[in-house]
Amino acid sequence: MNDPAFDSSALASSPLGAQGLTLAYGKRAVIRNLDLALPARRVTAIVGPNGCGKSTLLAGLARLHTPETGHVTLDGRDIREFGGRELARALALLPQSVSAPEGLTAAELIRFGRQPHQGWLRHWSAEDARVVSAALAAADLEALADRPLDAMSGGQRQRAWIAMTVAQQTPLLLLDEPTTALDLGHAIEVFELIRELAAAGKTVVMVLHDLVNACRYADHLIAMRAGEIIAAGAPSEVVTTDLVRELYGIDCTLLADPGTGSPVLTNLRRTREPAPACAVSR
Amino acid sequence: MSTVRTLSNARDPVAPPAGTWRIGLSRGPTQRAVLIDRRTVAANGLLALLLAAVALASLCLGSVPIAPQAALRAIFGQGDAMDVFVIQELRLARVEAALLTGAAFSLAGCLTQTLARNRLATPGIIGIDNGATAFAVATVTGVSAHFAPAVMALAGAATATAVTFSLAGGIGTRGYRFIVAGLGVGAAFRAVTHLMLARAPIDDANAAYAWTVGSLNAPEAGSIALLAAGLVVGMVAALMLARSLAVLRFSDATAQTLGINVRGCRLAALAIAVVLSALAVAVAGPVALVALMGPEIARHLSSHRGVPLVGAALAGAAIMTAADLAGRLLLAPIEIPVGLVTAVVGGPFLLWILLRPGHRIAP
Repeated sequence: MNDPAFDSSALASSPLGAQGLTLAYGKRAVIRNLDLALPARRVTAIVGPNGCGKSTLLAGLARLHTPETGHVTLDGRDIREFGGRELARALALLPQSVSAPEGLTAAELIRFGRQPHQGWLRHWSAEDARVVSAALAAADLEALADRPLDAMSGGQRQRAWIAMTVAQQTPLLLLDEPTTALDLGHAIEVFELIRELAAAGKTVVMVLHDLVNACRYADHLIAMRAGEIIAAGAPSEVVTTDLVRELYGIDCTLLADPGTGSPVLTNLRRTREPAPACAVSR
Repeated sequence: MSTVRTLSNARDPVAPPAGTWRIGLSRGPTQRAVLIDRRTVAANGLLALLLAAVALASLCLGSVPIAPQAALRAIFGQGDAMDVFVIQELRLARVEAALLTGAAFSLAGCLTQTLARNRLATPGIIGIDNGATAFAVATVTGVSAHFAPAVMALAGAATATAVTFSLAGGIGTRGYRFIVAGLGVGAAFRAVTHLMLARAPIDDANAAYAWTVGSLNAPEAGSIALLAAGLVVGMVAALMLARSLAVLRFSDATAQTLGINVRGCRLAALAIAVVLSALAVAVAGPVALVALMGPEIARHLSSHRGVPLVGAALAGAAIMTAADLAGRLLLAPIEIPVGLVTAVVGGPFLLWILLRPGHRIAP
């Protein structure tokens, strides 16, 4: 999936970025003085150990978290200058844990994605109808349109939520751990949908736990540790055994995926420092 | 979206979503149109019929039974002089008071439940009613006789809400914290009420009794008029928030990323709930659990796509009118205060909401 044509020009036309960003909970700074540029029309994965601030960063990028210092820019403007509905037409975020009112069906959920395009006396237009149908089709949910979310599989439900953000028609999509609660098959369903959305021109940013899937499905990788970015770039260039050790405290062997060439981690074991006597140097 | 296929124009391009009517208001690029939920319309129709029946029964039944047709004529001052006196002087004001207080309590409950995403977060449970009661009782016990009860009730409700709000650090993301803080604040205000009653002369304490249990025995005309005006304004304001409230049911993060001004919407809805509860308390005292039952019934009957604001008001009005009627008839000639009737019915209802297996606490 790593696009060989990918180069720094995508970063130069970055639609979303941060300059000198510091995000804090109370007095505890989680993100410190961070600079960031996200490549346009690509899938970016933010990875790192638990508590490294990746979800906080995503919340900051979506204006859910007000920065202490620095700012987030969207299309060259400070994100704080945007009106609420204006921002909702430019940037969609799917939070990590979502819940919907009881009994809501997939189609009804997706209709809520049209909210920022609608108004007090503009509840439903031809455009709304068209976009909702297209979002259902994009997520391959046409046959399940009228099924309640409670009666869906985890993968179907997550696709419905992503379809809601599709109905928002934003050029930017932010996803916080979109596959955490899903088994392998359902996770792949969601990743493939994300790739299709990027292929259709969306800029996607996702926070992920899983480094292997991040390498496989992202064009651009941002590795974070303790609130700082320690590496950023194409997965095949950025991911090294040193990086894995620094991020997670594990040693591993890196292979190239026979299908895509993206890095695959095997032979994982905890780094022991200082090395015990019996450890054979590699 | 390479996989998206273009929809044919075989069917009407502005076909409304299933289960709704689309009422077009303008053509062309603006395409103003409102969607109306069919199930909600049916539910509101049913509740309105029920309310009309209960209200008519309340006018007809009592120590002097009056036939329905005679009762309706008497409203307009026609027919038997005795009927006209009973209806106009005794029963009509009481039915009005029951209807308005029930609607106000229930609409306020529907709003606070939606804000806190918790069915238990009604104005009675989170301390708003008790704050209003304490201040209203102060007008009778002479602590502060300068202001009308309605004004004092408003001040009390606002005070209690502000205290709860600051103790809980907000509502919504921490809905259950708000409820726990509200329980404490409510208990403190109830203690203040009873302290004032204990120290008041017996006649004053008797006069204030209605405000402690919830009663429609002696509604005051001025407070009823104020409540009627407040209910109209509150309902219109709530309906203007309806679409935002429907999104607020998800989560703060979801609502915000859909462009909702979460803070503004929440403050506005909370303000409406405070005003409605306070004006209703000034008329009838803190009538228990109407704000829990009314929205629940409306939600069961209405579509799950929106927040049943009108339905909640209609259901609350019907419950209150029926409870007052039952209180008048059950042990006649003794009148049971309406608050006791709703407590007896509402207690099991509360337990059912809490203990019903497999159901969520979120509205």
